Amino acid sequence: MQPTRALQALRFRRLRLTTKDVNKGFYKGTGTGSTGRHTKRGGYIIEWDKVRTYVCPPLDGFKLTPFVTETMPRTYGSYDGPLGPKDPAMYLARWKAENGLD
Amino acid sequence: MAAAAMRPSMGALGRISSSTPSPLRPLTQTASISTTAALLKRHKYREARVYRDNSKHRGESAIHRSGTRWRLSMSDEPLPRPVPRSKLPAIETDPDHGLWDFFANRQMISDPPSEIAKHGRSWTAEELRHKSWDDLHRLWWVCAKERNRIATANWERNKGEMGFGEAEAQKRDHTVRQTMRSIKHVLTERFYTWEDAVKLAENDPEVDLTGNGPAFIPSNYLEEGDVAATEGEQQAAETTGETVEKADPVTTATPEPATIPSSQQPTDAPR
Repeated sequence: MQPTRALQALRFRRLRLTTKDVNKGFYKGTGTGSTGRHTKRGGYIIEWDKVRTYVCPPLDGFKLTPFVTETMPRTYGSYDGPLGPKDPAMYLARWKAENGLD
Repeated sequence: MAAAAMRPSMGALGRISSSTPSPLRPLTQTASISTTAALLKRHKYREARVYRDNSKHRGESAIHRSGTRWRLSMSDEPLPRPVPRSKLPAIETDPDHGLWDFFANRQMISDPPSEIAKHGRSWTAEELRHKSWDDLHRLWWVCAKERNRIATANWERNKGEMGFGEAEAQKRDHTVRQTMRSIKHVLTERFYTWEDAVKLAENDPEVDLTGNGPAFIPSNYLEEGDVAATEGEQQAAETTGETVEKADPVTTATPEPATIPSSQQPTDAPR
């Protein structure tokens, strides 16, 4: 007996993990998070401080679009050092040069 | 005269006796001659015919327009006639309603594929590194609204089984998602760098993180000696700042209309 082709070792790793592939205690979820708690009697109480509210900032006069013109070539940064753009010294220097307040 | 005078009282007596049973008279009659309903019931012999018509709709015919067998309890008012849609009053809608943002075009449910395909490339992370938090926040919502528009048009095209525009919409959506991914990338990177920079600032003599007074006290103009001490550091800061500026001269920290092509502006800005 051998597993089906889809489940053979290398392919299996590319499949989605389900609760049947692992031991007990695995909670798959949907990445959404809860909005309340379950009661003893099977009900559900919504806790409003857990409910997420997304506030759209005012977009009046905002001119950026999700797209950049094709006439402008893609720009990539060139950074010295192993940390690249994540260099804290550079961050600090930029903070001092631009703002230095908050 | 006497009989006429007696009649009402006799009638009243009968009514009283019929409605309220007298305790003097027994309730059930067992005599052979009686006028009670139970004994007057029609005798049913074995082959007795049932005169009731079991077919309630006998004789009714739609073809012969016979109508119903019995008069219906309906009024004689004429039935209302359907009004053509052109004669109906226009439905008033709010021209500034937020739900209009779900459509790219108010006249058409979906743009033609040629129009859907008119979009530029996605933002790169390097271009977004020079944007402020507020700009990135707002750009994220602009992207989300654009994706809503694409999804609405997809749904409409699917519903109408139009069979076109799917590939173009998919490509446009992919571009928007690339931009959103870059926004996330930049914000995550900025947060981690900020964390490291706070640690670095704890040992920086110029930075005061206690919260008393200004956080940043530039030392290069205080004393001559301090200038020499921090010169190397300051120069490094300036050079890195300049490299950032040189790497992307068009996009700066504040949004400029120059970053948006003039050809794209009229089509995308009012949405």
